[in-house]
Amino acid sequence: MSESSKEEIIMAKLKSIVEESATEPVDLSNFGPDTTVEDIGLDSLTILDLLYDIEQEIGVEVEAKEIIAFRTIGEITQLLVDKGA
Amino acid sequence: MSATKEFNHSSPRKRVVVSGMGIASAIGVGKEAVWESLMAGTTGICKITALDTTDFKIKIGAQAPVEIIQEKLAKLNRRPSDRTLDLTLVAAHEALQQAALVGEEPPFENQDIAVIFGTGTGPSQSLGIAFESFFEKGPKGVRPTTVPRSMYNALSAGLSLQFKLTGTNYVVVSACTSATNAIGVAYRMIRDGYAETVVTGGADAFLQPFFFGVWNNIPALSKIEDPLKACRPFAADREGTALGEGAGVLVLESYEKATARGVNPIGEILGYGESSDAKHLTSPDVEGQAKAMQMALDDAGLSPTDLSFVNTHGTATPGNDGCESQSIRTVMGDAVDGIPISALKSYFGHTLGASGALESVATLMSLQHGIVPSNLNLENPDPECKVNLIGSDPVSIKRGPAMKNSFGFGGGNGVLILGPTH
Repeated sequence: MSESSKEEIIMAKLKSIVEESATEPVDLSNFGPDTTVEDIGLDSLTILDLLYDIEQEIGVEVEAKEIIAFRTIGEITQLLVDKGA
Repeated sequence: MSATKEFNHSSPRKRVVVSGMGIASAIGVGKEAVWESLMAGTTGICKITALDTTDFKIKIGAQAPVEIIQEKLAKLNRRPSDRTLDLTLVAAHEALQQAALVGEEPPFENQDIAVIFGTGTGPSQSLGIAFESFFEKGPKGVRPTTVPRSMYNALSAGLSLQFKLTGTNYVVVSACTSATNAIGVAYRMIRDGYAETVVTGGADAFLQPFFFGVWNNIPALSKIEDPLKACRPFAADREGTALGEGAGVLVLESYEKATARGVNPIGEILGYGESSDAKHLTSPDVEGQAKAMQMALDDAGLSPTDLSFVNTHGTATPGNDGCESQSIRTVMGDAVDGIPISALKSYFGHTLGASGALESVATLMSLQHGIVPSNLNLENPDPECKVNLIGSDPVSIKRGPAMKNSFGFGGGNGVLILGPTH
C-alpha cells in the first residue's frame, strides 16, 4: 500500500471519528490536511474522545500533548503514519 | 394539625416569582403544545419505538418527539448528546427566553444566575452506554469522557455552560421527589437572600436498555397493554404507573429583580415543605406526606380552604394513590371535599425525578388559565380514595394557590404551594 493511500485512509477515518465525537455541528466539507483542530471546534474533552477512538479504530496510542502539539489534520495523519498506523 | 417546624420570619422574606417556564415532554415540546394536549385529554403514553422492547415485559411509555428536540437543539448550535441533557437544554432555553434572560441563539453572555436541578437517574443514556461497553469490552471499552458526561451534575453543569450561568450549579437527587426538592431549595435561596435568580426544575429519561430494564421488573409498572388505558391514577382498577421522559424548567426570581427588569411574573412560589418518612425504602407513609403538606401550607401562611386545587403525585400505583388520598384528608379535613384533585401522570407518564417540574409547570399553566385538565382513565374512582377527584372533563377553578405534591423512593416528600400572579 502506498504512503499516500495510507494517509487518505487515515484521514477518512479521522473525519468519521470527528463527525462522531463532535458535540456541536461541524462543517467538514473542506476537511483535509490543512484543517486545524480549531477549524473543527474540538475542545479538550472531544480531543480525549478522539484519542480514544484513534486507539480503538486505528490501533495507535497517541498522547493528548502530541495531538495538541500538531495543529493540522495533515500533521496528525503523518504522526499516525510514523507511529505505524 | 400544627407545623412541626417554626419558621424564622425575623429576616425579611423576599417574594419569589416565576418569570419563565419551559417543558419538553411526550405530550408536547413547549408550553403551548403541552397545554393543548392537556385540554384535549391526549396522553403521551404509547408503544415504545425508541427502544427495542422485545425482551422487556413492559412495552409502553411516554417518549418525547426526538425530531422536535433535535430541531430545537440545532438552534443552540448543538448536536444530540445525552437524551436527558438534550431535554434539559431545550426546556431551559424556552424558560430563559420567556424570562427575557437569553435570546434565540448563542452566543450568550455571563449572568449571575444559579442552577439547582433535579434528576432521579441523571444522564442515563451516557451511563447506559458506558455500562454496555464495559461489559462487552472490559475496562478498555470505557471512553475517557465517561465521567464528565455521565456524572449526575452534568445536567446542571450543562445548563451553566450552555447559557453562561455563573451562580452555583448542582443537582438534587431524591428519586421522584428530586425536581420538587430542587424547586424548593431554589425558592428558599431567593426567599432568604442567597440568590436573585435561579434556574430550577428537573429532567429524566428512561429510554435506555439498562435503565428501562431496572424499572421493568419493579411491580410498580402497569401491565395493561393498551397505552391509552395503562395509567389510571386514583382508579379502582389501576395497576401501576407508566414511565415517561421529559424536562421541566422554571426560572425563579425575586419579585424585585423581575419587576426591575420589566418582566411580568407568570406565577409565584408561596411555600415549600419537605419531610422523610423514615419507615420504608419504597412504601409511602401518611404521616410523612402530611407533615410535608402541612409545612408547605404553614410556610405560605395559608389554610386548605385557600387552595384552588391539588396537583397530586398520583402515580396510579396501588400503594401511592390510597396513601396520598389519606394524607390529603389528614391535613385538610372536610375542606378537601371542596378542593379539586388532579393527577397528570396519565398524560406525561411518570417522569421520575422530573415529574415535580413538569407537573409544576402544568399547575402554573392551570393557575394562569383558571382551568385544570381532566383526570384520564378515571371511569371507576377508587372508593378508598376519599377526595374530590376531577372527572373526565377539565374543570374551572377559583383564583387561588395550588398545592403540588411529590413523593419518592427513599421516603422523601416534597410539597410546593404555587400561586397565580397578583
